[in-house]
Amino acid sequence: MSRCDFKIVLLGSEHVGKTSLVIRFVNCRFNSGTPYQNTIGAAFCAKQMQSHDREFNVGIWDTAGSERYEAMTRMYYRGAHAAIICYDPASLASWTRLRHWLQELRTVEEDCKVYLCGTKKDLLDTGTVQREVPEDIIATYSQGLHGHFLTSSKTGENVDELFQKIVDDCVKDLKVMKIVEEARVQLQKEDNEKNKNYCYC
Amino acid sequence: MEDVLDEIVSSEDLQKFEKIFHEQLHQGNVTPKAQFEYAWCLVRSKYPTDIRKGILLLRELFNSHTEGKRDYLFYLAIGNARIKEYNKALHYVKSFLEIEPANQQVLALERQINKRMEKEGLIGMAVAGGAVLAIGGLVGLGIALASSKK
Ligand SMILES: Nc1nc2c(ncn2[C@@H]2O[C@H](COP(=O)(O)OP(=O)(O)O)[C@@H](O)[C@H]2O)c(=O)[nH]1
Ligand SMILES: [Mg+2]
Repeated sequence: MSRCDFKIVLLGSEHVGKTSLVIRFVNCRFNSGTPYQNTIGAAFCAKQMQSHDREFNVGIWDTAGSERYEAMTRMYYRGAHAAIICYDPASLASWTRLRHWLQELRTVEEDCKVYLCGTKKDLLDTGTVQREVPEDIIATYSQGLHGHFLTSSKTGENVDELFQKIVDDCVKDLKVMKIVEEARVQLQKEDNEKNKNYCYC
Repeated sequence: MEDVLDEIVSSEDLQKFEKIFHEQLHQGNVTPKAQFEYAWCLVRSKYPTDIRKGILLLRELFNSHTEGKRDYLFYLAIGNARIKEYNKALHYVKSFLEIEPANQQVLALERQINKRMEKEGLIGMAVAGGAVLAIGGLVGLGIALASSKK
């Protein structure tokens, strides 16, 4: 019944805001009070989304950005339909690592749609931090990719837009949709045989 | 859905990290990284014997390698939950929460374990809870973890 139709993975260095982005999107909140929690390995959550008047289950894998986990998090890229690579516009280091994350992803999942996400927009807007990554460089770089978003998990700005674009793009992709439909039919068959429901994301 | 306890490692991944681990074992020098990666695959296996092996490796790491204690605790909880050793799993969860009370991943794991116990009619046993005290080697675990935090 509740297998995921689309799989999205989040990549990017530690502390850029991947976990906050997922929590904002799935739970519509932002934890500003709690101290920083380094994600352990990889965390999964799911959300029901609509596109083209249809419902889809979207599974999201949030990965740890630390090098300690690199060999392991790579496993979670497998089978991903889309990847969000996050960077912090106020951290040149996080941007420099981007190429690395893209390569990591491509070695495992060639066909995956890639979206760039600049995080913590609210901090830029209020002048709390200074932009270190020039916008023209970002524009050039994102041309070959599926999109670029500047988001704030604190205010929620552009967060839904990012995930909606991903799902819309997936639904428009005939190759992806063919597999999704087949999986649904297969799952229906399995469901009829045994009344179990697992998520295989 | 939304369940880290259901996720299963692919056999290629398991074999890949098993090979690295065994190579290092033959050379008599296993790095914590190789041991952790192998254990991490093992506790996500569908076979209970693998999971038990993974738990042993994680416990060994927990006692010898300070840096990754947080990770070891988390996957010890997952491994034990997957072989239905729910009381042990909850004990690891609690030890973790003593250090990081608001950790979302661990709180979610706790909810999943409780849900499973409820489903399997084991809630009464958890309340009886005496079994928790019987786990050896865990005394002072919270303290060890606290002192390992930077
Ligand atoms: N002001 C602000 N802070 C953010 C935002 N996103 C993340 N943060 C903070 O940045 C830190 C790292 O976030 P986290 O999501 O854990 O990063 P991760 O390591 O990539 O998962 C945390 O202290 C967050 O509170 C944002 O949009 N605005
Ligand atoms: Mg994180």
